Amino acid sequence: MGVAVLLKQVPDTTAKISISGGRVDEGSITKWSISPYDEYALENAIQLKEAGFGDVVAITCGPARAAKCLTEAAAVGADRLIHILTDSYLDSIQVQSLLSAAVKETGFEVVMCGKQAADTNSGSTGPGLASTLGFSCVGGVTGVSIDGGLAYATRLGPSGLEKVEVGGPCVFTFDKGDSELRRPNVRGIMMAKKKPIDSLLPNDLGIGDSDSMVVIKDHSSPPEKQPGQKFVGSESVPEVVEKLRGEANVI
Amino acid sequence: MAYEALDFYDIDSLLTEEERMVRDMVRDWVEDRVLPNIEDACRDGVFPDEWRVEIGEMGILGAPLKGYGCPGLSYIAYGLICQELERGDSGVRSFASVQGSLAMYPIWDFGSEEQKEKYLPGMAKGELVGCFGLTEPDYGSNPGDMITRAEDKGDCFLLNGAKMWITNGTIADLAVVWAKLEGEIRGFIVEKGDEGFSAPEMKGKHSLKASVTSELVFQDCKIPKDRILPSVKGLRGPFSCLNNARYGISWGAVGAAQSCFNSAREYALSRIQFGHPIASFQLVQNKLSWMLREITKGQLLAFHIGKKKDDGSWIPEQISLAKMNNVDMALEIARMSRDIHGANGILDEYPVMRHMANLESVKTYEGTHDIHNLILGRHITGIQSFTREP
Amino acid sequence: MSTTVISESNNGTLHPVTAQLVGAASSLGGPITVICPGGVGASDAAKISGVANVISVVGDCFETYDCSAWSKTLSPLVEGELILSSSSAIGRELISSISATKGIPVVQDVTSLKNSFSATRTIYSGKVIEEVSISPPCAISLRVNSFESAADGGSAEVSTVNVSQEVAVAVKQALARASERLDVSEADIIISGGRGMGEPANFSHLNEVADVLGAAVGASRAAVDTWGEIPHSMQVGQTGKTVTPNLYIAVGISGAIQHLAGMRSSKFILAINKDPEAPIFGVADYGIVSTWEDALPVLKEQLIELLSN
Repeated sequence: MGVAVLLKQVPDTTAKISISGGRVDEGSITKWSISPYDEYALENAIQLKEAGFGDVVAITCGPARAAKCLTEAAAVGADRLIHILTDSYLDSIQVQSLLSAAVKETGFEVVMCGKQAADTNSGSTGPGLASTLGFSCVGGVTGVSIDGGLAYATRLGPSGLEKVEVGGPCVFTFDKGDSELRRPNVRGIMMAKKKPIDSLLPNDLGIGDSDSMVVIKDHSSPPEKQPGQKFVGSESVPEVVEKLRGEANVI
Repeated sequence: MAYEALDFYDIDSLLTEEERMVRDMVRDWVEDRVLPNIEDACRDGVFPDEWRVEIGEMGILGAPLKGYGCPGLSYIAYGLICQELERGDSGVRSFASVQGSLAMYPIWDFGSEEQKEKYLPGMAKGELVGCFGLTEPDYGSNPGDMITRAEDKGDCFLLNGAKMWITNGTIADLAVVWAKLEGEIRGFIVEKGDEGFSAPEMKGKHSLKASVTSELVFQDCKIPKDRILPSVKGLRGPFSCLNNARYGISWGAVGAAQSCFNSAREYALSRIQFGHPIASFQLVQNKLSWMLREITKGQLLAFHIGKKKDDGSWIPEQISLAKMNNVDMALEIARMSRDIHGANGILDEYPVMRHMANLESVKTYEGTHDIHNLILGRHITGIQSFTREP
Repeated sequence: MSTTVISESNNGTLHPVTAQLVGAASSLGGPITVICPGGVGASDAAKISGVANVISVVGDCFETYDCSAWSKTLSPLVEGELILSSSSAIGRELISSISATKGIPVVQDVTSLKNSFSATRTIYSGKVIEEVSISPPCAISLRVNSFESAADGGSAEVSTVNVSQEVAVAVKQALARASERLDVSEADIIISGGRGMGEPANFSHLNEVADVLGAAVGASRAAVDTWGEIPHSMQVGQTGKTVTPNLYIAVGISGAIQHLAGMRSSKFILAINKDPEAPIFGVADYGIVSTWEDALPVLKEQLIELLSN
């Protein structure tokens, strides 16, 4: 019994992203962090551990710098740390096959991750992984508890906020949770420093080299905002509302 | 805009991962819990008790001390903790400095085994609050002539006298009090409930408003014999404590300066006058550039003395230099930052005047600016110029 | 190249994004099949021009939303070399699940598509535009209102498939209405009021617009300081919250530097103020010089009309 938590290291959401030569310049990113929604997954997993559900295994897939994510997870209570080491750009299938192989090794039936990562904003990993593992998937949850072999999750469903019950192995993807994220403390940080990280190469998981089926062609900055447009009188409201949809696409 | 702590010469790259994680933990706590509430705390003149609890939970009190439940972190980590706390408010950092360097440290270094076991674990958790009683109404820069005295009555010590300007005094569970026993300065642990001891709060401060400042009054205060700190006599005792606190302050001042610099920079970039952001004007750029220069120098001083504290190769005069320089530059930066903010700088919408007022106290306590100057003068020349005695 | 469009529904009817998905597929060429989970909107989908056929998948398992269960029923019926869905929460989950089952890659929330294929989307919360190349067989989810809708006038065949599938997710309890008022720090759309609202009771007008948009309601420091009824938690600005919504609507707010500090990084800013010289117009993308009394009722009405389409 236990929870596998998938963590992705992303540029801190406050970090400036600069583009050079048509690509995001990773070297210029000053701060890397655990993707925010993943932090809620980790918090919930540790709460389950405190309730007696078993260990928390934190898994990340990425280059060497991603190990910091795992140390941060250990500082708040993760028990085992797995780093799938890869420098390559991975498509959804590649990521999911690496993560599912690592999850299978843990033997755990509860997997938690954020509903989408702060870099790609995609949200493919959770449901895709569930498919690959043959697990159920409940997305966009704010909290999960486990009682008598069944999991209870609060999620925003089509008709509103609801509590659902799930039997059997399941992947839960997290929205901003109900709980406050716990802070590490010095003791946690010092123990995390000593915690070993299982570093695995894709080959170790039985996954061979392959090319990504998605290839990045270009990164560019969004166009400069147009200068502001000023209108007079409430008669202009309909025109502005049209622009909010047609030009700005914000509603 | 998110907070960017100026680090022009990339001190960050010299830190260990543990030091960075500790710094980030405190920085996040200050952002979440101190910054949204500090202006109200200042207006009300209170140090919120929740902060004591949360600081205790983080496990950062008595940072460089080892054993007895203490964190056992490097002095660099201790410096970073002070830096981040003071970026929030000097009063918050004062709470931690007094607790760790002035109350826990003397017990740790000069106390008996029983005293260490009795007090340190609770103090490390923030459950027991300590304070440091050295300064008196008539004896500040000249602690050697203090008049608070202890008499050995056979079955107890009797303390008489008064201490002033004592951070944490009114909320403290224990006070490490320096008093003359047969003319020689000794340390005594006075507990809150001891007969003849009171700690009224000093009100009406324009500085360190979110910090508790108190008098300690001893009127035939009776304390058991086992409360004396056995292993130190003379000014060496209190001065060892002050050296540790001063070290932390040299980093803390950097944090306050970083906060003021960050605010000035953001403000200058957003404030438009004469059709341009004021950041485009030469006089403003000159000020920002000066601030960057001083903060960078201050960081290097603090970092280097931190390394010397960690390898034991330091001397007190080196700490005097760091404290004095960094607090001085931080106060100037706060004033300059207020200037850049224009009239807006006087509002508590911005942190600058709060830092400015706080730093007046920080420049005075833990050895005034001038005293540190004379400490260096004595070091340079071999001649003391504190007093008129030969 | 054949395309399967996973249709999107909204409260039991076909969501207009489905026609946009068909429109996008049409510009790429090849036969288009629309698959309707739970059969919702199948007959309307058949009327979209360009649709060759509609598969209406029905069964008890569609009563509750269970991503894996639905995907298990849909995957075998999805045969297109290109699979398209909307990038709504459910659209993304379904397409992720189906594409994983088929072992084909997925790219999400795409805003433009060129043949064979280059797909454009934003990453880092809109800070960067990314163009990727991807070839069929593959799956792509499209952002709503980014593609031209296909016209009406189609008459595709609807075939119904009955499925039975074990469902692992059961709804135990409905907890709250979907339209709980959000906190300013979490909302994609914020409407804020300043001292120009006149009195705190007038914030009810802002609440009404917020309800239509599913927005959060904020306030300037001036409003919070002047009126005790407006809590500090609503304050946007230097000592309040810093927000970065997609749309920030500032009503009766002059735009003092402290307020701007809290909201100037919003994607789009709409300002309504009766003073044409108000500094807020300096940062607004769309500025309306008008009293809020005149402008807000029209705004609310127009938004209701737009969003009900």
